[in-house]
Amino acid sequence: MVEEIARATGEHVVIVAAAMIVATIAGIPLGIFCVRRVRLGKVMLRVIDIIQTIPSLALFGFLIPVPYIGGIGIRTAIVALILYSLLPIVRNTVTGLNGIDPLIRDAAIAVGMTDRQRLMNVELPLALPSIFGGLRIAAVIAIGVATIGAAVGGGGLGTLIFRGVAMVDTTRILAGALPAAALALIADLLFGALERMSARRFGSAA
Amino acid sequence: MKRTILALSLLLLATCKRAHEPIVVGSKNFTESVLLGEIIAQRLEKAGCTVDRKLDLGGTLVCDHAITAGSIDVYPEYSGTALTAILHRPASGDRAAVMKSVSDDYARRGLKWSPPLGFENTFAMIVRKSDAPKFNLRRISDLRLVEGTFRPGFGYEFVERPDGWNGLQQKYGLHFAEPARTMDLGLTYRALATDQVDLIAGNSTDGLIDALNLLQLEDDRHFFPPYDTVIVQRSDIGKKCAAAPAALESMRNTLDVATMRRLNLSIDRDHRSPAVVAKELQR
Repeated sequence: MVEEIARATGEHVVIVAAAMIVATIAGIPLGIFCVRRVRLGKVMLRVIDIIQTIPSLALFGFLIPVPYIGGIGIRTAIVALILYSLLPIVRNTVTGLNGIDPLIRDAAIAVGMTDRQRLMNVELPLALPSIFGGLRIAAVIAIGVATIGAAVGGGGLGTLIFRGVAMVDTTRILAGALPAAALALIADLLFGALERMSARRFGSAA
Repeated sequence: MKRTILALSLLLLATCKRAHEPIVVGSKNFTESVLLGEIIAQRLEKAGCTVDRKLDLGGTLVCDHAITAGSIDVYPEYSGTALTAILHRPASGDRAAVMKSVSDDYARRGLKWSPPLGFENTFAMIVRKSDAPKFNLRRISDLRLVEGTFRPGFGYEFVERPDGWNGLQQKYGLHFAEPARTMDLGLTYRALATDQVDLIAGNSTDGLIDALNLLQLEDDRHFFPPYDTVIVQRSDIGKKCAAAPAALESMRNTLDVATMRRLNLSIDRDHRSPAVVAKELQR
């Protein structure tokens, strides 16, 4: 049993971590894009919003027949989680960037910074607390939603929960649910700490 | 506000006073069980009973808890499943003895184990037909040849049940290198057909076995007990609708394996709704 829980927890962490890494790499630039190209950005945010409203089990189901990214197994689970994690990351990046005092931006322009320098050295650092806040929400949601991925063969802690439900075995349900809750708490604390650290270092922009 | 509360409480009273409490029909969460639940429901409705459907419940034990608690009144079950998974008795190959033993135990639990519907649905260990000549697979004991490489994939229940994966491996002395991948039972066929797993446990009445060009391995050491399909009903079901016991009894031995394969296939492959398929059968 312990071995099973350890294996399922390991799988769970891998699924969530993989999804979070991709979602972060894609989400932050998407957020920057949304701020730069306001009109197109609004459309994009709306699309990401809509993805978020699809019930998770349905999203897993939709992905099964999709070639390359879908199917039955861990890949489908990761792709679904990427899609879910995008919204908080993109939205918080936008919020963070939009929340910067215009005077600071003007000052950066006045000292002759290029577009790129301004983004990398001024705007992104100031938006960092908000971005970490987005990552924090995304991670907590992803850890929860990942349990449902077990329905499509995604593995992870959901396997134990589904098996427990099928056999009305409370112990087994808890064996899946408690580690998942613990992972969510750890992620919350970790990103919460990063959020506070960056806020102290760069001053709060959000 | 006051008026709303008044209206609501009146509505509540009205529902309480309804003359006939509906008979609640349950089923497990796989094609054949939902279809049988639907057939039972329609037969009861035809007999004039009010019916509430709670189909697609979780697995075996969810249904069993529901019927012993009185949340459902009737659902389809299989003798071998009742014997091993619910009653925790050792598996036995004697068909009549299994039926008798389950029937007696159920009577003690306030449940009536009757009538049998006329067909058996046993677990089917299934591989791709194309793999059979390659690895010389015909019987379950032949799986020893591929235990190092084959990836098994099952529904959640099969992994947990005493008459499931662990028991089967023990009985046949199998030691699969890959742990079983678990997924929704309905997805296992797709996973097998698309090469994502190599061995699944389906039902012998699944029409997809032939349709997807798959092969059911012979249970050469007789691990699985007989699984005759039987209606389980609460002994007091007649109190809710006097016509119910006779209506259910009229279903005795009315179905056979060939019919079930055909009906299951028309749902699984042709995506027809169990309600429509059941309705056609009534005619």
